[in-house]
Amino acid sequence: MKRATSYILPVALVALGVLFPLFFGPYPQTVARTIFKYMALALTWDMLFRSGQVSFGIAGFFGLGTYAAALLALKAGFSYPLAILAGALISGIFAYILGFLVLRLRGTYFSITTLALAEIFRVILRNWTSFSGGPEGIVLPQIIFNGDSRCLYWIGLAVLLVVVVVSQYFEKSKLHFSLISIRDNEVSAQTSGVNIFRTLLVVFTVTSFLQGLIGAVDVVSVGYAMPDSAFDSNYTLLPLAMALLGGQHSTWGPIIGSVLLGVASEYLKLKIPYGHLLVYGVIIILVILFMPEGLIGLFRKKKGAKRG
Amino acid sequence: MAKLTTKNLTKHFGGLVAVQNVSFSISSGEILGIIGPNGAGKTTFINLISGIYMPSSGTIEFEGVDISLMPACERAKIGIARTYQLIHPMEDLNLIENIMVGFLFAGNKSMKEARRLATELCESMGLRDLDREVSQLTMLEVKKMEIAHAMANTPKLLFLDEIMAGLNSDETKEMIALVKRLAKERDLAVGVVEHVMGVIRELTDRVIVLESGEIIAEGPYETVSKDKRVIEAYLGGTA
Repeated sequence: MKRATSYILPVALVALGVLFPLFFGPYPQTVARTIFKYMALALTWDMLFRSGQVSFGIAGFFGLGTYAAALLALKAGFSYPLAILAGALISGIFAYILGFLVLRLRGTYFSITTLALAEIFRVILRNWTSFSGGPEGIVLPQIIFNGDSRCLYWIGLAVLLVVVVVSQYFEKSKLHFSLISIRDNEVSAQTSGVNIFRTLLVVFTVTSFLQGLIGAVDVVSVGYAMPDSAFDSNYTLLPLAMALLGGQHSTWGPIIGSVLLGVASEYLKLKIPYGHLLVYGVIIILVILFMPEGLIGLFRKKKGAKRG
Repeated sequence: MAKLTTKNLTKHFGGLVAVQNVSFSISSGEILGIIGPNGAGKTTFINLISGIYMPSSGTIEFEGVDISLMPACERAKIGIARTYQLIHPMEDLNLIENIMVGFLFAGNKSMKEARRLATELCESMGLRDLDREVSQLTMLEVKKMEIAHAMANTPKLLFLDEIMAGLNSDETKEMIALVKRLAKERDLAVGVVEHVMGVIRELTDRVIVLESGEIIAEGPYETVSKDKRVIEAYLGGTA
């Protein structure tokens, strides 16, 4: 993409995004907010995937941020902005500590372990009733901004923009090179001076912080948290499907994929309840089989990038 | 003065001894050949020096500092570089970006600086059209890229693992001249693993011969190639 166009399009999209609630009512705003949430999650997943590591732990760190923010607001009396920040931080700190264990693993072992982590968080919060409210979860006394749908929309958009900026930083900085070299050839990356473990630890911590942030903002926007909804496996699977459909290893791919799948699922939910889940499954399979680079791959001229 | 010295360097894989009691040294500006039959431990030896494997026993000293247990990425930063026998470039990076990696991480340079240095290096090695994908490169260019990739560490010590394999005789000549020039210009210590004896004869100042992980002979190529044990083990032996 050339310099001029690479600025015009994002600026126009951000402007449209900001002005959207002035022209559309609460229902479209809510749909858009949901799409932003998944879009942000899809981006965070892709950011780690750029190193070749497939995390199934998105729901874990999203849910961690959700519960941390909700509990701090409810039990420790944190104001919502503070609770949001703390939720994100706690998620990042957990990832940093757990990173020392899981980031030694590769391939399927890494994926399965991250999946297990998410489940462990869920099971603990589900059963530690005195602390977390158990399966019924916790209800916050009020929703942030008193539930004003425009403000909820804008805060969701703001979180998304933070994630997009971080993703672009990943793309434009040295991290871009270290992540690709880890993905393509770990041995040679090391002998070129890339500290693989430290790089992965930074990325795992940052992406988990962002997932926690998304979760924390989500909980103050809906006003309640339950283990089965905060750690819903949809939070792991849908972002993954969106990133793969749009195109992996980029900022645009997950954005495009989540708009398409988000709108499609909203439509399908009305037509065939739960049918959207089937559609997601089929899309993942079709994309992996026939379009491994996703939709964005159709526009990319790059020939070298064959593997994922 | 010796750039790199190993003392009784040994590596086992379970019961298998891949490198045993190897003591040697290499100096700046020197090109050392490392030869030996298949499975003699040449690549394992390079893996030990570059930090891919940690030694089972023995020590490695680089510029007088014990680096035996230093991680590979740190060794890259202090000036150790190598190429790989099975070249596997970063396919998702183009030619120039592949070369930038060493400058960025081993050299800790900024993106702009890394691109400038990588361009300079590639040009000095006769690589052109630096924005090409690696899949579009010729065999000779791939080999040059592999050397440039290592040179991007700004090394003082460089190990080349069968870098001539697959090249025709003209290309081999060009590569020999290139390696000699790099060694001279940058006062490099170079270790060369090769199977082609002509290359070893042309390129190296001194040769060590490995067999079953041990050094069985050492000296100039002319002397070593006449050594009885070497002829038995390597040139005419059953191995």
